[in-house]
Amino acid sequence: MLHATVLILSLILFSAVVISVLIARPAITATRGGKILAFVAMFCLPIFCGLLGVSKEMARSKSTTFCLSCHTMDGYGKSLYVDDPTHLPASHFQNHRVPADEACYSCHTNYAMFGGLKVKLYGLKHVAIYYLGTPPAPENIKLYEPYNNRECLHCHLGARSFEEGVVHNADPATLPAIKSNQLSCLSSGCHEIAHDLGHMKDAKFWKAGK
Amino acid sequence: MLSVEQLEKRRQVAGVFIVVGLVVEALCLIWSTPITFVIFVAIGGFLMFVGIVLYLYSLVPDLKAPV
Repeated sequence: MLHATVLILSLILFSAVVISVLIARPAITATRGGKILAFVAMFCLPIFCGLLGVSKEMARSKSTTFCLSCHTMDGYGKSLYVDDPTHLPASHFQNHRVPADEACYSCHTNYAMFGGLKVKLYGLKHVAIYYLGTPPAPENIKLYEPYNNRECLHCHLGARSFEEGVVHNADPATLPAIKSNQLSCLSSGCHEIAHDLGHMKDAKFWKAGK
Repeated sequence: MLSVEQLEKRRQVAGVFIVVGLVVEALCLIWSTPITFVIFVAIGGFLMFVGIVLYLYSLVPDLKAPV
């Protein structure tokens, strides 16, 4: 990630220097070679830099540190370290069932068509509310729509622990109901503890590396 | 028909817009917070867009000129 940033910054610097030379000595563009140089420097390179930058910003917006950089998310970030295997986000984060550096995005994206775009638009809305509006109290933050099993099944579908799980197979109707999103993984009472901010004061926390 | 000086002036103005846009984008890449993405697109992208359009517009008299 750091190397990519350095490379993009180098390209931006190079473009800026070439354009600055063209600004200082506009007579260069009188020749055929100068015209080609100006076209590359003032059209091709800025567009290329912009696209690389957008791609980099998009990748960065998926990172856990990016999501937790708003103070409203402090409690949610802390909840990833709760020392309790029944706490769903914590067990996923601590056991790397989701990439630890993209923990928020992995579970809170939308794995449907154009879902990535939809969550980015939600993200822009969050930024607007954070800077221009009144952000709700952390414990009052709600999902835009009920959590869809599709997001869980993106990883768990086909996994032995899911397909052959004792509870999942106790009733033959359970597994099809989960797969069709009729029986929620979270709100059905099976995996219901997610970011339980109300009980964070009493919780024990895992210290990574110990 | 525009004089060479006027065309050069247009390209210089376009260049200034693009350079400022590039500087904004570079700062946004270094300074990482959620607001930087908005600044990157809204300010950096807008300045670069204006600069590129001005530059392309400055080429029109060149295209009209007899070969």
